[in-house]
Amino acid sequence: MPFKYYGGVHPDEMKQPHLAVSTIPQPSQVVIPLQMHIGAPCQPLVKVGDQVTMGQKIGDNPAPLCAPIHATVSGKVVAIEPRRHCVVGDLVPSIVIENDGLDTPCTDLAPLTEEELKNPEAIIQRIREAGVVGMGGAMFPTHFKIQGGRGKVDTLIINGAECEPYLNGDHRTMLEHPVELLKGIELVRIAQGVDTAYYGIEENKQDAIDLLNSLNPEQYGVVIVPEKVKYPQGAEKMQVKANTNREVKPGGIPSGVGCNVVSTFTAYSVYRACYEGRPLIERVLSVGGSAIEPANVLIRFGTPIQHVIDNLGGFKRPIDRIVLGGPMMGFASFDQSCGLIKGISGLLCFTEDENRDVEHPTCIRCGKCIEVCPMKLQPIHMYMYTQKKDYEAMQKFHVMDCFECGSCTYNCPGRLPLTPTFKMGKAMLKANDAKMRAKAEAAEKK
Amino acid sequence: MTEKMLYNVSGAPFVRSKTDTSTIMRDVLIALVPALAVAVWQFGLKALLNVVVSVVACVAFEYIYRKLMKKHDTIGDLSACVTGVLMVYCMPVGVSWWMIVLGAFFAIIVVKQLYGGIGKNFLNPALAGRAFLLSYPVAMTTYAIPSALSGVVDGETMATPLSYMYAGEALPEYFSLGNLFLGGISGCIGEVSALALILGGAYLLYRKVISWRIPVTFIGTVAVLTLVFGHEGYGNVEWMLLNLCSGGLMLGAIFMATDYCTSPVTPNGQLIFGVGCGILTVLIRYFGGYAEGVSYAILLMNLLTWAIDKATPQTQFGISKADKKVAEAEKKAEKAAVKAEKLQKQVEKLHAEGGHK
Repeated sequence: MPFKYYGGVHPDEMKQPHLAVSTIPQPSQVVIPLQMHIGAPCQPLVKVGDQVTMGQKIGDNPAPLCAPIHATVSGKVVAIEPRRHCVVGDLVPSIVIENDGLDTPCTDLAPLTEEELKNPEAIIQRIREAGVVGMGGAMFPTHFKIQGGRGKVDTLIINGAECEPYLNGDHRTMLEHPVELLKGIELVRIAQGVDTAYYGIEENKQDAIDLLNSLNPEQYGVVIVPEKVKYPQGAEKMQVKANTNREVKPGGIPSGVGCNVVSTFTAYSVYRACYEGRPLIERVLSVGGSAIEPANVLIRFGTPIQHVIDNLGGFKRPIDRIVLGGPMMGFASFDQSCGLIKGISGLLCFTEDENRDVEHPTCIRCGKCIEVCPMKLQPIHMYMYTQKKDYEAMQKFHVMDCFECGSCTYNCPGRLPLTPTFKMGKAMLKANDAKMRAKAEAAEKK
Repeated sequence: MTEKMLYNVSGAPFVRSKTDTSTIMRDVLIALVPALAVAVWQFGLKALLNVVVSVVACVAFEYIYRKLMKKHDTIGDLSACVTGVLMVYCMPVGVSWWMIVLGAFFAIIVVKQLYGGIGKNFLNPALAGRAFLLSYPVAMTTYAIPSALSGVVDGETMATPLSYMYAGEALPEYFSLGNLFLGGISGCIGEVSALALILGGAYLLYRKVISWRIPVTFIGTVAVLTLVFGHEGYGNVEWMLLNLCSGGLMLGAIFMATDYCTSPVTPNGQLIFGVGCGILTVLIRYFGGYAEGVSYAILLMNLLTWAIDKATPQTQFGISKADKKVAEAEKKAEKAAVKAEKLQKQVEKLHAEGGHK
C-alpha cells in the first residue's frame, strides 16, 4: 500500500496508451547536440567528413559527470557547429550527420557476458559507455547516480508513474517489452547492490501492472507497487515518499534518505545496452494535442522536430504552441529545426482552444495553490514576493524548494503564471547569491 | 491552412484546470438559488426584485468605475453579481431600492474597487455594505411576516427568533425548530432557511469551491459554545439547535466567511479563522446590544486575515516535527548569542569608561 502525500492535482489524462509504438522514416540529417545530459559537455571524437556508423561514439568527456553521445544514424559528418538546442535555447556545439539510409550498425559495444551481467562495476561501466541518462526529463547521467548511491542507497525505486498527461512511452514499453524491462530493472538493481527494486506504477496502467505481475517479477527482484493516479506522482520526492514513507529534506536528493529513483525507459535502455550492446540512440516519443494526429513513435535523437510533424501528416488545425515533453513540466518549442534529445518524452501540438491563459491574470486569494503544492509551499506568497524582487521574503517562503511541477499553476483559477515566475525567481536568487558571495570575497580581500 | 510564423512560447505548465474565477463565481450563484427560492416563497416577488436591483447596481458600479479609471473590464468574472446577491440576502425584504443602490455603491466602489478590485479588498464587500446600511437601523431591522406565518401573527411586521431568544423571552410557539430549519421565520431574505443554505454549501463542497475548514469550524464553535453555556429557560441541546438555525449563521459560515479574498489562505489559518468567527458570534449574541452577531464577527475576523496567514505558515515537505524543534532551538540560541555579545560589549564599554576615571 503506497503512502500518501499532501497536495497534487488530477489533470485530464489525454493518454493514448492503445497506440502501439510505430516508426517513421529516418530524417536525411540529424542534429546531435554535444550536451544531452546534466554535467560536462562532450568533446567531439569525429571530424567533419568522417564516416560514422549507427551507434558509434561521437562525443565524450573524461569528466566524471558526463554521458557520451552516439551517432543515431550511419552516414557522414557534415558539420560540427553551434546549433540551437531545443530546450536550452542557446546555440550549443552540435554534430550534424548526413544520413546514408543504411543504418550500418556499430559493433564497438558487444553484449555483456553472463559473468559481466552479474558484476556491478561492469554494468555501471556499460551504462556510462552507452550514454544512458535519466529519461524522465532530467537527463542526469545514470551511471553517476548509481555509482554515487552505492553504499548509501538501501531502496531502489523504478519510476513507472508516467503521471504527466499525454505521455505513453513508459506504458507502451511495459506492454511491448515487459521481460526486457524487468531484466533491465534487475541489472540496475544489481548495479545498485540492493535485493529489491520497487516498481511504482500508477493504477491507470492496470493492464501493464497485470502483465508485469504475470511474468513473476520476484525472480528479477522486482516488486510492483500500484500507485494512486495523482500528479506529480512521478516526481522523485513523491516516489520516495509513496514507496518508503521517507521524506527528502528541502534541497536534498533521494540518496540522502537512502533511495535512488530510476525511470522506466532508463531501465529499458540499460537492458539494451547490456544484453544487446546497443547504446542509447532512440526513445519513444508520445505525440499529442488536438493540432496533430496522436501517435507513439520511436525516434532517433537528433531528428528535427519538423521531420516528426511532417511524417505524422502535419498539423490538422492552426497551431498555437508546440510543447516538448509533458504539458506540466515541458518546454515550449521555438524552432522546429532543432534536433530532439534524450530527455524529451512528448511532442504536443496545441491549438488556441487548448490555451486557457488570460490577458489579465488576477489572484483572488483562493488558496488553491497552497492546497495542491506537494512541497507544502505557499505559491501565493512566493509569487507576490518574487514579483517584488524581495529576496529575503523569497527565501523565507522557500522559492528555491519549488521543483516546478506546475500543480499550483494548473489549479489557479486566476490563471497566474506562478511556475514560470518561480523559475525566474530561482534564477534571480542564484544570481543574487553569487553577487553577495563576490561582494563578501572582495570585502575580505580588503 | 494558416500557419503562424511565431508560436506562443510561454512557460510550463501548458494545461490549466477548467475551473477559473468565473466558473467559481457561477457555482456560488448556483449554490445561492435554493435560498432565493425560499425567499420568494416566504416574502414574495419583492425579494426577487431586491436581488435584481442589487445585482444590477453592483455590476453597473463595477463597470462604470473600471471604465472611468481606464482599467480592464472585470464584470465577466461574476464576482460583482455574487456581492450583489449576498448583500441583499442579508437585508430584510422591506428595504427601499435606493438603500440597496447605496449599499452596492459602498460595497463595490469603496470596499472593493478602491483597494484594487477582486482579490485586493480586505473586508467582505457584501457584509461591509450591510454594515454601512445599518446606519438606517429602523429600515434594516424591520422584518416582514413570512408567508408561512401569515394569519398566525397579527400586524405588518414582527421580530426575529434571535431577538426573542436573547431578550430573555420565551420563544413563541410558531418559531418551532422545523420552521427555523425550513425557513418559515422572519429575518433577512437569504438567511431564513438553514436547509436551503446547507444544500448550497453541499454543492460548493462537491464542486470544491470551498473547503470544509471555515464552515465546519465556524458552525462547530458556535454549536459547542452554545451547548456548553446554554440559556435560562431552554434545554442546552434545544438552545444550541436554535442558535444554529437562527440569524445569519448558515449564510455567514457557508457563503460569507468563505469569501476567498477576506479569509486566510493557509489551511491552519482557515481553521483559526473559523473558530474565531464562532467565538465572536457567540460573544456578540450573548453580550452585545444587538442579537445578530455573525456579520460583525466575520468583519472583525476579516481584519485579522493577514495576521493569521502570517502566523500559520505551511510546514514544508521533508521537515519533520523534530526538525522544526531543532530549527526553533537554533533560532533561540542564535538570538541568545547575539544578546550575550551585546551584553559583553556593554560590559567592555563600561570597563573602559571605568578605566578612564
